[in-house]
Amino acid sequence: MATATPKPMVLDGHEVREMTDAELAQHELDKAEAAAQAAAQASRAASRQAVLDKLGLTADEAAALLG
Amino acid sequence: MGANAVTTVPVYTAGEVLTAADMNITNSGIPVFATTVTRDAAFGGTGEKTLAEGQFAYIEATNTTQYYDGAAWQSVGVTPGLVFITGATFSAVTSVSLPTSTFSATYTNYLVQFYATTATAQADITARFRAAGADNTTSNYSYASNGVYSNGNDANLSGNAVSSFAMRGIYTNLPFSATLTISEPQTANEATVTGMVNANGNTTTALTASLAFAGLFNDSTSFDSFSFLASAAITGNYKVYGYSNS
Repeated sequence: MATATPKPMVLDGHEVREMTDAELAQHELDKAEAAAQAAAQASRAASRQAVLDKLGLTADEAAALLG
Repeated sequence: MGANAVTTVPVYTAGEVLTAADMNITNSGIPVFATTVTRDAAFGGTGEKTLAEGQFAYIEATNTTQYYDGAAWQSVGVTPGLVFITGATFSAVTSVSLPTSTFSATYTNYLVQFYATTATAQADITARFRAAGADNTTSNYSYASNGVYSNGNDANLSGNAVSSFAMRGIYTNLPFSATLTISEPQTANEATVTGMVNANGNTTTALTASLAFAGLFNDSTSFDSFSFLASAAITGNYKVYGYSNS
């Protein structure tokens, strides 16, 4: 028999309780959004590094060049 | 009336023979009165000092020390600039919401100190305003964090018209702390969050990040609370203070 995965706990004021269904849905949404943002940030950093590599510049040299 | 309370502040004349009771009153230091009524009755009568500037008194009813400035009695001490409102510790939770009505008409601005000591996994920390027991998830949050990681890399973070404030995160056994001033969450003005964040950890490594944080809720909604949200369970504590309005 499958057992339900326990929901994350929250501190609501002075009460510790399980997340409501709505809170859990928002929590999952937030995690997905954070992961997408992190991936986008990593992609931007990789693109930037690729350009620097093509130009043969370090990050400090690029920063100095761009002022 | 306590053992030190007096009902008169005597004055003695030349050649007068003093009793032990007279000396006990004289040696009592700042005279102690049960109430301001007995204080007022203790001066100016026959055989009593005339009330004058510089006189001190302790009032049992209010546990206050007062001085007379020549025109009125004033309380000794100053109103504190910060007044503790609430605080709590938490263990293995994924969100921490301040109690309902933490923000009220009593104060306009608030200081929040949030400290997470550990997390069950690397966790991103975000925050939202809250009202009547529910976080506000509308896309009215805008923020800009100017920061740097301890290896010198850029830790800047920003969001415009998004559904929460992002504050980077916590890396398992390294802490996350935020000292935030929350301005005008209850007024008709837009609420802002200003402060410093000490975040330890990003998605792959345990790096310290220093962030100067500025956030805006771009709507005049009134809030009575604030929530910190984590993508994994966190343990720690928080304290909230109200800035005195005068």
